[in-house]
Amino acid sequence: MKVSFVSSQAISKALRYQTQRMQGDLVKATKEVQTLRVADVGLALGARTGVSTSLHREVSRLNGLKDTNGLAASRLDSTQVALQDLTKISNDLMADLTTASADVADPKVIQKQAETILSTMTSILNANLNGEYLFAGINTDVRPFNDFLEAGSPNRVAFDTAFAGFTFSDPITEAELNDFLDSIEPMFDASGWDNWSSATDDTITSRITLTETAQTSVSANISGVRKLAQAAATVAMLADKQLNGGARDALFERALASVGEAITDFSNQQGYVGVTQQKLEQANERISMQVDLFSKSINDLEGIDPYEASTQVTGLMAQIEISYSLTARMQQMSLLKYLS
Amino acid sequence: MSLSTALNIAQNSLLNTQRQTGVVSRNISNAYNEDYSRRSAVLSSLAPGSRIADVRRAADAALFRQNLSALSGWTAQSTIVEGLDRINLAVNGVDNLTSPATVLGKFQEAIQLYSSTPTNRTLAENAIEAARSMVRSLNEGTQAIQSFRADMDGQIAAGVSELNSLLAEFKTVNDEVIRATHSGGDGLDALDQRDALLKKIAEIVPISTVTRTGNDIVIVTADGGATLFETIPRHVAFAPTPAYGAFTAGNAIFIDGVPAPLATGANTTGGGSLAALVQLRDDYSNGLQAQLDEVARGLISAFSETDPNPPGNTAPGLFIWDTPPTMPPAGTRTVGLAGLISLNPVADPTQPGGDAQRLRDGIAFNANPDNYGNFNDLLIGFTNAMDAHAEFVSVDGTTVTMSLMTYSTGAISWLEAARKTADYGAETKSALIVRTNEALSNVTRVNIDEEMALMLELEQSYAASARMLQMIDEMLKTLLSIAR
Repeated sequence: MKVSFVSSQAISKALRYQTQRMQGDLVKATKEVQTLRVADVGLALGARTGVSTSLHREVSRLNGLKDTNGLAASRLDSTQVALQDLTKISNDLMADLTTASADVADPKVIQKQAETILSTMTSILNANLNGEYLFAGINTDVRPFNDFLEAGSPNRVAFDTAFAGFTFSDPITEAELNDFLDSIEPMFDASGWDNWSSATDDTITSRITLTETAQTSVSANISGVRKLAQAAATVAMLADKQLNGGARDALFERALASVGEAITDFSNQQGYVGVTQQKLEQANERISMQVDLFSKSINDLEGIDPYEASTQVTGLMAQIEISYSLTARMQQMSLLKYLS
Repeated sequence: MSLSTALNIAQNSLLNTQRQTGVVSRNISNAYNEDYSRRSAVLSSLAPGSRIADVRRAADAALFRQNLSALSGWTAQSTIVEGLDRINLAVNGVDNLTSPATVLGKFQEAIQLYSSTPTNRTLAENAIEAARSMVRSLNEGTQAIQSFRADMDGQIAAGVSELNSLLAEFKTVNDEVIRATHSGGDGLDALDQRDALLKKIAEIVPISTVTRTGNDIVIVTADGGATLFETIPRHVAFAPTPAYGAFTAGNAIFIDGVPAPLATGANTTGGGSLAALVQLRDDYSNGLQAQLDEVARGLISAFSETDPNPPGNTAPGLFIWDTPPTMPPAGTRTVGLAGLISLNPVADPTQPGGDAQRLRDGIAFNANPDNYGNFNDLLIGFTNAMDAHAEFVSVDGTTVTMSLMTYSTGAISWLEAARKTADYGAETKSALIVRTNEALSNVTRVNIDEEMALMLELEQSYAASARMLQMIDEMLKTLLSIAR
């Protein structure tokens, strides 16, 4: 009658099983110490693994957004500078016009000044960034603004045709001039503006956060550009023609009014761009915060405490060593040894 | 008279000791044999002297049964764990890095990048490459799932044929046990063999046994539904399917004409490798395939395009699945869609006439007739559509409303949840099998020390008996010398 019985196999198997388990744990713990994340994310998180995958994905996408936002920001910066330049030349033109209308200097001077303004605004509006025309709306492959001073360009041809089709007395009277200027008004409106600009009214849409988009460019079709072009073109074309006093005054007056409107619009546009720039900056800040937050969440999900993991490794190694020496001693422990 | 009786007894004792020594040495030689049950020589006292009635075999029917069921459970569970690991690795890759969900994220990023600079042809091609990886991930996932199913089917076939041959072997051994029982022989080796066979059978199907007169055993499945062995082995039938497609339904296993018991859950309710293999082949593979198919459908519809001109038809864009391209039926799973989805060759620069920029301008319809360089309405629309809520069919057939991106991670969660549960199940079941094994082993196996101690006893007993013989011999000599 035995009270308790243990088989030799059970003894050796129990030891083997325990050692195996500990060795398995050691492999896992070592990997965790090295990578500082759980050895098998799927086994550790189970149904929440999808969350971790989607967080990783979001972080990567947000970082991508930050890069593309950089691109949009540099476009906005360039646009802002260009708008400032446009304002500046508008102011110059305004000053020149005021001077011209005050005294009866050589009309050639103001005519040349207007031409300079035209060529400057053409070069500003045709500015290029990363191979895209800044003011082209979304038609960024095509140079948006036609050079009025170039003979044969469509806007010039349209103006010349209109001028030739009109009969003037010599010198041109105020009434005639006003009629002519009224007749060319549509050239700077919707219908005739195509001759000036190939830009689209639609501007570039950029995604600036995961859910938000913003217009990150300004088109050459804004009313400021049209008004400035109108003022500069009429003065450049008509100032050196034979005009009587009333006609000259009317020309300068209408040009001044246009430039005034242009300046107002440019400053408005600067304001819009400034708002978008700020929005972008805030979006970037938010993205950085989100990335930090998501990274923290990922760490909460998958991360491990390095101290805990390394203590675990040390503990397991000690345990396994004990187990080895125990095995060796148990192998020694046999009745056979004591029998002779 | 009494001296010769004493002589007889001593002689008998020598014989007993020799037989007992034989049992001890046999026990020791089988100390580490898993299928061996400890023998013990039981002495019954008979006047005059003692003689060995029989050699008994240590056994505990209850523990053995428990061990069988633990063995079934553990085999099933470890099969599930291994299978889920394999399919997870095949479809989702290490750390889910090649899973459709992850690739989808990369693809969305590529579209995002392209939409920031739509004039850039390199970015367009980059987006198309990401789309190609997406298609490949779905196609290869489908292939991996289906070849996994074919593999499981093959393993089922192998398991069934092994089961049939084990049952045939069982008949031979069982017959021997019955013969030995009837003829009064010991038949202990046959019993050992029979237990070993039962264990092997239990690894394949969960069984319960009924012992009848003459030590005859009837094997039925654990739920009692089908008979595996009764006097003769019953046939286990299975028609293997060599190749699998998403449409293919695997065949059932029939035991003696009755469908074999099925198992459910990642911490499987079933026992034996067969039930687990069927579970992997049907439940998990099909569940995963269903989710891939839905991701494919989500992709096709997220990248579908609407005609800007009346009547405003909708047609598949970047991703197509049939020719001529049509939209997959809405709101329902199209079986095998993940294997059919492909890139529209019109937008694929590696195909003749393919142009990556078509992704910006519209593939099915021209949404950018004026060829504006920075036209990105479609591209932004695509990224929005990937994040927009849509209806998807989940694994259990119910309709859920979520975004494509979320749905795709759901597939990972689903599989990983199963893996976690399975792993937990494996832990408890392995603990159970280790525990019952230990208990059974403690009852039925050999302890060498004890056998050695027994041997010492026998040595003493032998020496004492021999000494007895000598004594009696001397006494007889004395007696004879007196008589001379």
